[in-house]
Amino acid sequence: MKALVCEHYGKVDDLVYRDMPNPTAGPGQVLVNIAAIGVNFPDGLLVEGKYQAKPATPFMPGGEFAGTIAALGEGVKGFAVGDKIFGWHTSYGAYAEQVAVAEEDIFKMTPSMSFEQGAALLCATSTSHHALKQRGQLKPGETLVVLGAAGGAGLAAVQIGKAMGAKVIAVCSTDEKLAFALSQGADEGINYTKEDLKSAIKERTEGRGADVVYDAVGGDAFDACSRSMAWNGRLLIVGFASGRIPSLPVNLTLVKGYSVVGVFWGTFTKKQPEDHAANMAELLEWFEGGKVVPVIDKTFTLNDGVKAIQYVTGRNVKGKVVIKP
Amino acid sequence: MKALVCETYGEVDDLNYRDLEDPIPGPDDIVVAIKGIGVNFPDGLLVEGKYQFQPECPFAPGSEICGDVIALGSNVSNWAIGDRLISLTPNFGAYAEKIVLPAEIPTPLPDFMTHDLGAALLGATGTAHHALRQRGQLKAGETLVVLGAAGGTGTAAVQIGKAIGAKVIAVCSSDEKLAFAREQGADIGINYNKEDLKAAIKEHTDGRGADVVYDVVGGDAFDICSRAMAWNGRLLVVGFASGRIPELPVNLTLVKGYSVVGVFWGQFTQNEPEAHAANMRELFAWVKDGKVTPVIDNIYPLSKGVDAIKYVTGRHVMGKVIIKPDEEIS
Repeated sequence: MKALVCEHYGKVDDLVYRDMPNPTAGPGQVLVNIAAIGVNFPDGLLVEGKYQAKPATPFMPGGEFAGTIAALGEGVKGFAVGDKIFGWHTSYGAYAEQVAVAEEDIFKMTPSMSFEQGAALLCATSTSHHALKQRGQLKPGETLVVLGAAGGAGLAAVQIGKAMGAKVIAVCSTDEKLAFALSQGADEGINYTKEDLKSAIKERTEGRGADVVYDAVGGDAFDACSRSMAWNGRLLIVGFASGRIPSLPVNLTLVKGYSVVGVFWGTFTKKQPEDHAANMAELLEWFEGGKVVPVIDKTFTLNDGVKAIQYVTGRNVKGKVVIKP
Repeated sequence: MKALVCETYGEVDDLNYRDLEDPIPGPDDIVVAIKGIGVNFPDGLLVEGKYQFQPECPFAPGSEICGDVIALGSNVSNWAIGDRLISLTPNFGAYAEKIVLPAEIPTPLPDFMTHDLGAALLGATGTAHHALRQRGQLKAGETLVVLGAAGGTGTAAVQIGKAIGAKVIAVCSSDEKLAFAREQGADIGINYNKEDLKAAIKEHTDGRGADVVYDVVGGDAFDICSRAMAWNGRLLVVGFASGRIPELPVNLTLVKGYSVVGVFWGQFTQNEPEAHAANMRELFAWVKDGKVTPVIDNIYPLSKGVDAIKYVTGRHVMGKVIIKPDEEIS
């Protein structure tokens, strides 16, 4: 099969589109013919050796996929050949035509779901869901500030925040991205290149500050938010797309009585499988109800996968990018 | 009345024991004859101008008292002359013989508690209680690590951690303090001058790390704990007795899926009065059952209040220090 292969840690440009041996389904696994692959910000970091996980080379990056089951390994109970599924490959390998994964890492697609949508539901959307539900404990009527609100994870946070009944303030770097986030349900927008982020948050919350901040950006935006939190607020640490990991003077949390909360969805799925399953059931309800629907910005072919990653890490995405074999 | 007065921000030594005008109640206030005053670590910071609040000089520092009602404002109906009470004093002024307080702030002192225990209870125990209940959401069976476990609020955290049903690991700077923390109920002790704190926490949690850390110390101890947290852990930021406010690289919270949670009890009592009242009911029940008992290390007369503050900020306290008006001691 064809795959996009990382031969050695280095530049995203160095990924090679070449033949790899076809995987086979081991016990408890299914073999999937991949129809669509979700591209995520960390995919680039992984290839550059800047991510917390470092698989042995050569390997295929990518975790998120949707496709059709081609074969069942021994002992698989919940699926049949031909089932349309979406899933998450915990040890990477999704940038390929086929993948073999454990039965518990895949979910059946709903009838109205496209492969592209399926490939966009797990990483970004589920991260946002876990962040806002288990970690942020977002409640109806609270104010949620979403940094990077036009990106894949940010956009999901906007939609899920609205589904949970919060007032959502989208923060973006351009008016165009802001307009997009508002079209996806955000109640208010802040262009932080035009407005002072801290005063803008205070103004839009009548001086109280943000109840929950969803931060996949880090850097200066985090610094501003760490000084704009409401009493009992939760500042969710999801990622560092800005490239700078912030340092927090922890007395800020004391004076305002707020929390800085780390979010790591991948570990959550392994440590709390029952909560993960309940989240997926809720997410599929929201999808069927039209409340949380991934927006596909662009689709690339697998041999153009390098461009797909660069498009995402270039931080100009509006919604989600998908690769198709 | 006599009071210990901060005339200008500066050294604790500069506090002046002198006469102040007796307080006069407004229509919604009560006047309390102070029987005991709790000494807290921030009292010294306040006088030095290093605290988050800077009241106008001259003022008497101190933020918790125990005493009896001696005068009522015209609108006050929930108190009677002679009622015993404990209270935070949000605008300071506790280092005195009398204080005026808004009638809705104090809490009645149950009959089974002495004035001395009342003076030792509120600040340290209330903070630890709020930290572990509302902010840390400590659950039975979880592992609680208490830094500065022999100090006033650390001792309270050890006792309350046990009352909630947690496994409590006390962290102290000397074997003597550790022995004291063990007497208060701690299951395990770590002397961080003798043991590697991170390795010791990992060892005592079977490699999982701490579910909840109660940190009144900051500095190096915080840095180490920020690398020794369990999945879904809560690192409670209560104070900085070490003198250094830590800077946290926030990716640590992401990788381990834990939270750094600020604790500000005084603000809590004002922002969430109902939750505060419920806490006090639970706390008194624990005191009655003997699960939580303030340990009084030392009692100073008000005229020697400077010594009391220096004893607490010197970080050698085991338990709680209180001050009493001079005539209450003789």
